[in-house]
Amino acid sequence: MKIMLNGQEREAREGETILEMCRREGIPIPTFCYYQAFGGQGACRMCMVELREEGQEQTRLVAACTYPIKSSVEIITESERIQRLRRTIVMLLARRAPDNPLMEALARTYSSPRLTAIEVEPPNCILCGLCIHACEEMGRTAIWSMFRGIDKRIGTPYDEASEDCIGCAACARICPTQAINLEEEGSTRRIWNKTFELVACQRCGKNYTTREELEYLWERTEYGKEKLCESCRKKTLAINMKSFQQ
Amino acid sequence: MQIEAREYEYANDYKVLIESYSGKPEHLLAIMQDVQKHYNYLPRLAISMISQHVGIPVSRVYAMASFYKAFSLVPKGKFIFRVCDGTACHIKNSATLLDQLQEHLGIEVDETTADGLFSIETVNCLGACALAPVMVVNGKVYGKVSPGDVERIINEYGGQSYASQHKC
Ligand code: FES
Ligand code: FES
Repeated sequence: MKIMLNGQEREAREGETILEMCRREGIPIPTFCYYQAFGGQGACRMCMVELREEGQEQTRLVAACTYPIKSSVEIITESERIQRLRRTIVMLLARRAPDNPLMEALARTYSSPRLTAIEVEPPNCILCGLCIHACEEMGRTAIWSMFRGIDKRIGTPYDEASEDCIGCAACARICPTQAINLEEEGSTRRIWNKTFELVACQRCGKNYTTREELEYLWERTEYGKEKLCESCRKKTLAINMKSFQQ
Repeated sequence: MQIEAREYEYANDYKVLIESYSGKPEHLLAIMQDVQKHYNYLPRLAISMISQHVGIPVSRVYAMASFYKAFSLVPKGKFIFRVCDGTACHIKNSATLLDQLQEHLGIEVDETTADGLFSIETVNCLGACALAPVMVVNGKVYGKVSPGDVERIINEYGGQSYASQHKC
């Protein structure tokens, strides 16, 4: 399907989102709440672009990460209006994460004025929701967004150690502002008010996961009961492949 | 989440209530409302039982409970004094009613008396502005409440001891 993208004719696949198409075309669109594996959430509004439907005079703003291209529309990804919008979003979110490098860099890019910081829990959280998705994707759903309005925040029920949390830290790894507190000391890990015992890789000896996560994975995958960190798993896999080929 | 041992005394009551609904996820809200109605709050054990019954993670049930004002996560009094502090009532001096209540009952807004009898809450407009200032006690509406009425209303709910205790 032919569409107009920033004044140029381009080929879009029917049903793909504007963001997917732009990524394919190498056109940058900033995002907070989008992650390729989860798709768009339409929550942060950072990815807004201008859209003009056929026969329309005016453009309207849509979230690129959730808007599926279904007809020959015209899309504008950079304009004064979009700039202003991003500047405002960054300005507001930066209040929650004032000293975070990502937010600082974005504030510079969009010349967002600096407002007084507000205290949020956990500090630096901009509520993009990626951690919730990561946890859900792990099949645990130990965290969710609690309360609402200005009190809205991500957490475990009653802010206590959750039975569902296996300490995998998928949430901390995906967080764009490193807001999730992950403490590791010797052979223990602390996250979301829960302490876990770490397990060492049988090949390189590095502490790489928690006992709970390991048991959880053993339960649900075909893997043998080995304790291998990711890089050692790849290496053993490669060695096995070689011997298989010979 | 930690569940106190004494909560298990009620496990059977919760079970009967929860299992009167089918385990379909769409019944989540209805079950929560029913539990809230019976116990004036959502006990921890009940939250975990509801989560199991409908197959929705505890975190999401808790999130829902924390989102809606109609649910309480902490025990509430048998009688809940809801004082309207919407614009109309505010102008008609709802703050004085609140002060009086707080003084008489010896608790602040969103707190519950130690004997579990009374709680005080505020709401933003009950939609009865013509009756301002308005107060609702367990569904019963009191309109045009004057500061002098507060003690009498508390007494209606058996709060005599409170009223005399705090009178000066
Ligand atoms: S990235 Fe599209 S709304 Fe957040
Ligand atoms: S302001 Fe109190 S009822 Fe409307």
